[in-house]
Amino acid sequence: MPDTVVSLQDTRLSLSGNAGMVDILKGIDLQVTRGETLGLVGPSGSGKSSLLMLVGGLDRATGGQVRVLGHDLTSMGEDALARLRRQHMGVVFQSFHLIPTMTALENVATPLELAGRRDAFDRAEAELEAIGLADRARHYPAQLSGGEQQRVALARAAAPRPDILLADEPTGNLDGDTGEAIMELLFGLRDRHGSTLILVTHAPDLAARCDRVVRLVDGRLSDAAVQDAAE
Amino acid sequence: MSLTVAARIARRELRGGLRGFRVFLACLALGVAAIAAVGSVRQSIETGLQQEGATLLGGDAEIQLTYRFASDEERTWIDDNASAVSEIVDFRSMAVVTRDGETERGLTQVKGVDAAYPLLGEVRLDPAMPLAQALNGTQDLPGAAMDPVLVARLGIAVGDRFRLGTQDFVLTAALIREPDDAGGGFGLGPRTLVRTEALQSSGLLAPGTLFASAYRMTVAAGTDMARLETQATGALGGSGLRWRDSRNGAPGVGEFVDRLGAFLVLVGLAGLVVGGVGVAAAVRSYLSEKTGVIATLKTLGATTHTIFLAYALQIAALTGIGIVLGLVLGALAPLALAPVIEARLPLPAVFGIHPAPLAEAALYGVLAAALFTLWPLARTEQVRAAALFRGAATSRLLLPRWPYLLALALLLAALVGAAAWLSGLARLTLWSAAGMTAAFVILIVVAAGLRRLSRRLARSRAVRGRSALRMALGSVGGPGSEAGSVVLSLGLGLTVLAAIGQIDANLRGAIARDLPKVAPSYFVVDIQTDQLDPLLTGLRADQQVSRVETAPMLRGVISRINGRPAAEVAGEHWVLQGDRGITYSAAPPNGTQVTAGQWWDEDYSGPPQVSFAAEEAAEMGLQLGDRITINVLGRDIEAAITSLRNVDFSTAGIGFILSMNPAALAGAPHSHIATIYAQPEAEARLLSQIGNAYPNITMIRVRDAIARIGEVLRGIAAATTYGALATLVTGFIVLIGAAAAGERARTYEAAVLKTLGATRRAILLNFALRSAIFGLAAGVVAIAAGGLAGWGVMTFVMETEFSFEPVSALAVVTGGALTTLAAGLGFAWRPLSARPARVLRARE
Repeated sequence: MPDTVVSLQDTRLSLSGNAGMVDILKGIDLQVTRGETLGLVGPSGSGKSSLLMLVGGLDRATGGQVRVLGHDLTSMGEDALARLRRQHMGVVFQSFHLIPTMTALENVATPLELAGRRDAFDRAEAELEAIGLADRARHYPAQLSGGEQQRVALARAAAPRPDILLADEPTGNLDGDTGEAIMELLFGLRDRHGSTLILVTHAPDLAARCDRVVRLVDGRLSDAAVQDAAE
Repeated sequence: MSLTVAARIARRELRGGLRGFRVFLACLALGVAAIAAVGSVRQSIETGLQQEGATLLGGDAEIQLTYRFASDEERTWIDDNASAVSEIVDFRSMAVVTRDGETERGLTQVKGVDAAYPLLGEVRLDPAMPLAQALNGTQDLPGAAMDPVLVARLGIAVGDRFRLGTQDFVLTAALIREPDDAGGGFGLGPRTLVRTEALQSSGLLAPGTLFASAYRMTVAAGTDMARLETQATGALGGSGLRWRDSRNGAPGVGEFVDRLGAFLVLVGLAGLVVGGVGVAAAVRSYLSEKTGVIATLKTLGATTHTIFLAYALQIAALTGIGIVLGLVLGALAPLALAPVIEARLPLPAVFGIHPAPLAEAALYGVLAAALFTLWPLARTEQVRAAALFRGAATSRLLLPRWPYLLALALLLAALVGAAAWLSGLARLTLWSAAGMTAAFVILIVVAAGLRRLSRRLARSRAVRGRSALRMALGSVGGPGSEAGSVVLSLGLGLTVLAAIGQIDANLRGAIARDLPKVAPSYFVVDIQTDQLDPLLTGLRADQQVSRVETAPMLRGVISRINGRPAAEVAGEHWVLQGDRGITYSAAPPNGTQVTAGQWWDEDYSGPPQVSFAAEEAAEMGLQLGDRITINVLGRDIEAAITSLRNVDFSTAGIGFILSMNPAALAGAPHSHIATIYAQPEAEARLLSQIGNAYPNITMIRVRDAIARIGEVLRGIAAATTYGALATLVTGFIVLIGAAAAGERARTYEAAVLKTLGATRRAILLNFALRSAIFGLAAGVVAIAAGGLAGWGVMTFVMETEFSFEPVSALAVVTGGALTTLAAGLGFAWRPLSARPARVLRARE
């Protein structure tokens, strides 16, 4: 029986904006099993990134339940969520989100340091070497190209060997060839560490590489579009 | 053409409002306001002194004589030229109260007046009564009014008796206010007011005793005071008189207020310079946000000149707003606080809007704003159109082109020049400017060093595993670091405070701690020649008296040097201000160090010779062989300087600028002074014994005098500290500005760190550590620079020893670290509480 690592039940998210409350997610039910790769697709504004943020504990659901690795995220405090991410999750963003005041090496070492790993820098160096960026370790993000920044972000997410990798359109800001290389790296890392991968993407060919793809439309999972890539 | 286009672009850019310029406006307005307020208060006092000059003086004009009353000839001239005349006599004495066999003594400054006093203004007494009634006293005894402080010290009440010399008086009222009090200058004892005729049998006005007489005159309205002065000095010039009139009723006070005001303006200017750092940071931050706009304008064909003008016009408009705000605040604050200030001032002040100090403050504001915004403005030239596509402007500190550097140098020279000229304290201004510039450069170097060191430490193995410290060091040393603006603004503010702290602590230390160790217990004046031997015999036999020194003393005024008016030769040197003590001695007293020339033979009786204090002679440009004319008791004595000697005034012992051969002063009535060095427990007994035996003698307890001087210094130090606090407040605003400017970056950083698993505690620790690093660096530099400034002032200005004061220094470092910590943590709330998803999404 497959081991469920992510479980959403009637999950809702509403945000207040200038025009009042806006319902972003309108009751999502979704299970993700250990080692699975799940593609989240859908038009812009459908709620894909928001859903990913809820799974990462980076935002709080306003209704329903979000369980990750057996933890109910809706009842956990900010710091407990941070500790959960530190131990079990890695997140990759479209805009890389490297800390501009840290070098590539320091960026990669930070989550390992936060997890209390004594060999944080050695491991960070090994990760950078693995993605071919050993010579850029002492460079600040502003001194790296977009592709290099995303590779550093990938190394940072993968360095703690997370159970779950969350990737939010990781190739959205990159050209085709660079994006292709990044995806190779992402799937390579996932294969190497056996992590569960949830990937938000607009690209059908990327989605096609996932074990399963779910489609979001207007804050709901679209039944018609839900497919199992394996079928 | 480009100006019109630039003005149009500037107007459009400013439509966004002033939100990003709050720190800019606050720094500039506060700096200008502090200077305008100090200047306005100074002007208010000066106007008050001018308008009330006659009342402060006690008449339209005054002729003052030392040691004697006016001769018949002088009195006739005075009566002929005045519509009313009042004769005043002023001297120090001891008020003595005997109660139940116990005797209480208090030093007092006695003022003897006639029936015409006061010619102007009104004496206020408690209980309220006419002065004549108070001084008439009772049937048996003349009356007296006494300062409430002395009344309390002596433990007497209205109706009680006390003694001055050998004359008893009855206390009829407490003296609440004398109209001519401020004109008299600094006095060691509280005032006692009596009728001069009641002093005739007191033994206190005997020939040779130290007293000053003054003849106050009222004259017909419209009298040309300058002409009257010329007439007086022409008719009576050789008699050693000193002239004052209502044009400058309280010259000493006026000068003091002027000097203190100018000094405080300089302190305020330091505040403006600190504010300048904030102004520069605000402009830099604004322009860096505008990189995209500037690049777009360049893409559209705007020249570098047009873009510079467009942003210079915006900054000029904001500078105008800041200065106007500052002037309004600086002009209104003294008006609002007028009742409080007036209540604390023993001087008249006319509060109002005074344009001159406001114009001075505005000038400083314009120059400082131009100085601190030109460099960031010049950087608009360095933005390339390609920045649009690369998405980031260069953050490197590039030097502007030479025309800008030249303009910066000229602006700096103009600011320092204006301050030197307007304050009248050129030397102090130049030293302060040099000190500020040095501190500025040191802080920039330290900030750069701090960044480099932090970067290196962040990468060192030593901090691995200490993530908060490593991240804090990384942030201090990494790109976009706040090290420059925070260390500079806080460091400058703390340096000013540290320097003032060191100077203040050293001054107080020198007077309150070091002086009593070497100073005598008592300074005794008015010892008559026939009293000297018995007094010395008694004191030398006393086991508890370690040393007694005496010297004959007369007072005189140096009127001419080599036949020319003294002021023409030596300007306004303090030795020429008023009368000076003169002594005589056949042989050089023990310990005398003659540095040039030779002391006269013991039996010398030729033309008068004088030995002059070496340091003062050098300052006045006097040399051996120069002839000086000294007026002693109305008689001119011309003496040749035949020797120079070292005189040490720092020990509060006997020290005379002028010492003459005995024959030169033969026949002049005089008294003697003495210094008594005794064990502290013997002081009260000595006061009682000598006071009982010689009622005419005045004993000044040196400890009391030191305490009184300490009080005055405390007042000055308090005023200076307020000035320095204004600088620190400005520094704090700059800090808050820097913290606020960095809030967005910290919010983003916190969101990413949370994503990577950092708890709020870890993030807060990281933020707190970097604030502490900044505060500590600024504090350490402030201690070094402040200590250096303190050493310079004590060594070269005060000419005394400097010792580093650790308590004051520690307070500065702690204050610095806590201030940055408070500012940093105050702006940590939003970064810590923001949801990461929302922050990160906003950046996508």
